[in-house]
Parts: sequence; C-alpha cells; structure tokens
Amino acid sequence: MIPFEYYVYLSLLLFCIGLVGVMLRRNLIILLVSLEIMMNALIVLFSAISRYSNDTTGYVVVFFLIALAAAEAGVGLSLVVLLYRSLKKIYTEDINYYRG
Amino acid sequence: MDLNHLVFYYLALGMTIPGILAVISRNPVHAVLWVLVLILHQALLLYTLGSEFLTAIQIIVYAGAVLVLFLFIVYMINLRLEERWKVFVRRSGIGLILIFIFVFLLFKTISVFLALVPAFKPKLPYDLAQASNLVWIARYLFTHYLLQFELIGVILLIVVLGAVFILKKLQEVKNDSF
Repeated sequence: MIPFEYYVYLSLLLFCIGLVGVMLRRNLIILLVSLEIMMNALIVLFSAISRYSNDTTGYVVVFFLIALAAAEAGVGLSLVVLLYRSLKKIYTEDINYYRG
Repeated sequence: MDLNHLVFYYLALGMTIPGILAVISRNPVHAVLWVLVLILHQALLLYTLGSEFLTAIQIIVYAGAVLVLFLFIVYMINLRLEERWKVFVRRSGIGLILIFIFVFLLFKTISVFLALVPAFKPKLPYDLAQASNLVWIARYLFTHYLLQFELIGVILLIVVLGAVFILKKLQEVKNDSF
C-alpha cells in the first residue's frame, strides 16, 4: 500500500501550484482556476485521510467541498462577467483602485 | 515497484504537470483545458482511494459543470491581450514573499501533521467493508451531517440568487457593446 505521506506531499504540491497562480497571475479567470486547483489539493488530502483512517467522514467533506467549489465558481465568474461588462477589464492591475 | 506505486506515480505526474502548465499558460483556454486533464486524473486517483461515488461526482460536477462554465466565460470574454505581453505575471514582491513564508510554514507544520497519522481513528465504529462506499456516504449524509447537507443546499440557492442579482445589475450597465 502506498504510504500516506505521498498523498500529503502530492496535496501540498498541488496547493503550492495553486497558490503561485493566485499570487502571481494577472488574469482574473486564471486566478479562479488556480483557486480550483487549491480546492483539488484539499480533495486529495481529505479522501486520503478518509481512506487511511477507515472512516467515511473525509468522503463526506469531499462531497461538501465539491459543492462549495461549484458555488464559488458560479459567484466568481458572474462577478468577472459583471466587471468585464462594466469596465472592460479583467486584469488585476487595471482594477486595483485601492492600492494603499 | 509494484503496480500500485506505478499507478500512483502516473496519476501524481498527471496532476502536477497539468497544474503547472495551467498556471503558466498564457491562453486562458489552454489553462482551463489543462485543469480538465488534472481533474480527470484526480477522479482516477479518488477511484484508487476507494471512492467510486466521488469519482462520478468529480467528473460530473467538475468536468461537466464547473469547467464548462469556465470555458463559456473565457469564450465570452475574448481578451487576447495577455498573449501579447512579454511579462504576463504580476511583478509583486510581496506576493513572492507571502508564497515563500506560506510554503515554509507548510513544510514546517507537515511533520507535525504526519506525526498525528498513527492516531487516526474511525469516528464511528462501522466496518467500511460491509457495504459499498456509496451506502456509507449516504448514511452519513442523511443522519450525522443532515444539517450541513441542508446548509449546502441553502448556499447553492444563495449562489443562484446572487447570479440573478448580478444579471439584473448587468442590464443596468450602460454603453454595452455586445
């Protein structure tokens, strides 16, 4: 059986990839895609925990996570469409009005 | 090296490499399609973790609904500006510093987390091998997690209402070109 650590490191790697995307990309859509990658890292981690502790709770958490990811994508993308229609901009530097 | 490890390594590579390519690709369509590859591999990984129900949910909801929504929005907002820019990432020093701090903290705390692994205990004394995975998920969802299940329904309803509200806002936006 594969050691549990492998799943933890895979999840960590995916989370870091998503974090780099969120922190460094300009495009708002790719930012939301990177958020989805971070959610996927959590899904891998929770299902591995559930498998290795012989408990179904992690699978239920994954179920909730998938539903929440769908909700987040809906709200985020509708905000992106609103922003694009009203300002014609979807790059983060162009809409950064409140730079401190 | 047995077959389990080979399958795991293949799936891990099939998740990380498309993830990296999705983050560094200039064209948003390519990014969304690379995430689709990632999600299909992840569905297989969930299958190897013994949850066929979540595999189906992952493919139906993620690949079928969320990524199609992303692709639809990308096609609707046809901005090709980023492909012409030389530097398509934000040059923010504070972002890089935050990434380094966060990754450092993650690698520091992961050893603590891994030390907890032998202490994993089932919350409820059921034998998972007695029934299929779907049976256990359904039993948990409709007994122990009924409140959370209903709350997820409320959250999705709020999302629908928010999308409709934003759509009403859209109709009020003047100087609409398309």
